[in-house]
Amino acid sequence: MAVVVEGTGLTKHFGQADAAVVAVDTVDIAIEEGELVMLMGDSGCGKTTLISLLGCILTPNAGSLWVDGQLIDYVSQDMSAIRREKIGFVFQLFHLIPYLTAIENVMIAMSIAGTKGHEAETRAKALLTQVGLESRLEHRPAQLSGGEKQRVSFARALANNPKIIFADEPTANLDSRQSENLMHLVRELRQEHKTTIAIVTHHEGLKKDADRVIQMKDGRITSS
Amino acid sequence: MRSIFLKDMAYRRARVVLTAIGITVLVALILALGGIMHGMRIQARQFVESTGATIWISSEGSGGAFIGFSMLYEEYMAPLHHAQGIKPKSMSPLVFAQARPIIHGRPSKAIVVGYQQGKLGGPTRVLEGSMFTPSRFADYRPEDPLPLEVVVDERMNLEIGEQITIGGEKLKVVGKSESLMFVLDTPLLFMDVRTAQKVLFANYPSVNMMIAKATERFSPADVAGNLDEDGTIEVRTLKQTLDDIIETYVTEPMKAVMFLRVMLWLASGILVAMITYVTTLEKTQEIGVLKAIGASNGYVVALIIKQVALMSVIGIVGGVILSYGFAVAAPIFVKIHLGESLVVAFISFLVCCGSGYLAGRKAIAVDPMVAFRGEI
Repeated sequence: MAVVVEGTGLTKHFGQADAAVVAVDTVDIAIEEGELVMLMGDSGCGKTTLISLLGCILTPNAGSLWVDGQLIDYVSQDMSAIRREKIGFVFQLFHLIPYLTAIENVMIAMSIAGTKGHEAETRAKALLTQVGLESRLEHRPAQLSGGEKQRVSFARALANNPKIIFADEPTANLDSRQSENLMHLVRELRQEHKTTIAIVTHHEGLKKDADRVIQMKDGRITSS
Repeated sequence: MRSIFLKDMAYRRARVVLTAIGITVLVALILALGGIMHGMRIQARQFVESTGATIWISSEGSGGAFIGFSMLYEEYMAPLHHAQGIKPKSMSPLVFAQARPIIHGRPSKAIVVGYQQGKLGGPTRVLEGSMFTPSRFADYRPEDPLPLEVVVDERMNLEIGEQITIGGEKLKVVGKSESLMFVLDTPLLFMDVRTAQKVLFANYPSVNMMIAKATERFSPADVAGNLDEDGTIEVRTLKQTLDDIIETYVTEPMKAVMFLRVMLWLASGILVAMITYVTTLEKTQEIGVLKAIGASNGYVVALIIKQVALMSVIGIVGGVILSYGFAVAAPIFVKIHLGESLVVAFISFLVCCGSGYLAGRKAIAVDPMVAFRGEI
């Protein structure tokens, strides 16, 4: 299997000198194509920082990162271009744009990547239908339940056919039934799109769906 | 899908409307103040130009015909009638002085223009009624009865036959002239020069200035220069007089207004900067999410600039329309030039967009990591 994302010696600290906090400490990690990886660990152990590094949102203080086989050059490369072309994000608090409808929230990701008009609309409709929201296309986030918002989030993350989706605590704000439905969706998406997914979660019950569980503690990977 | 910036503006419409109204008011004020100044310039010129005189003579040290205090004893000016370059019989005495006439029992503002009928200085015909009765000017005797008659501006609320009081003398309105208001809509009251001397100078045979035409063979500048060398009078050309009058009645007093206009421009910029900056702060998380899902800095800045540009255009167009409305409704003469409106609109647009760009710079600095925290 090809490696989609690989980091070696990734280190990230916040603050300066004595006040510096090491959030991710010389982490080596590789995620293969089609894998469903769960990142688990206590609060503050560096899970979200690690996916931010892997998702090209944060720049590491040390280490190297390859995305889709390409070594990331933080000085000369446009990180936003890598994010819109190769990476999808799902956030704990959904973060849908409040004044856009469900379909527009998916289309905005395509618009940022340069796909507009009828092509974007057709694809956004297809994605929302796939996540079971064909009857909610014109609803705004305020008119959707938590589970529905997270489905729109997944559809948005899939909008530009990313190589990998990073989901930060996607079930944290959902009840158990909504969580189960969402994981059912994740399984379906993996089957249909062969999407690689890395999920940060506290939810032990999600382990059963993972191909691999990565445990973190104090910024380091303790088991993988 | 309608552009995201339009959807955002519709979502925050109350703020958009209030900002646009703010810009509208400020642009309207900038244009209205400019319009007032233009109106004053036009009114300052129109009487002077209407006389047809090209040479303006005032007493030495007055600084010009309309500038300082000028009193001339007309008889001493007799040699000027035959001066080189002065058109024969064109030399005319002129009284031009501010007065507080009592009209309908209330003190009012006006300018008394005393001139010799048939000579330079005032209208040769009236729109309604008749011209005032001319006096025997050339044969002055203080005890001679005077025609206490006045021709008023057509826009003054006076009818033929009514009386007004100036300097304790009652004058009868005999005619109405075409409107020729002076600066700040000050009406002109035309009367015989002797009548003006009676009501303003206690019947003393002085005038404020002498005006004349230069012959075609000589340039007014040469004629004025030659006469001025005499050292007992000050002589100006029409152009110099217009420059003096505009400087004295418009430019100098309106310096504070011009400063205020610049301040209003700054206020427009600060208003837009503050509102867009606060809005950008409010949208930090939203911007962070857009950046996290791949929006470039250019995309985010363009989003903000487009909103500011649209708000500014709406506000500026509203301001231009409002200023023209003000020009029509204002109690004084306001003249707004289309060219200046375009310049003001363009500068205001640049100021507003510049302010929006500052907010855009703030947006660029938003860390996409905020998407992992808090609620939108």
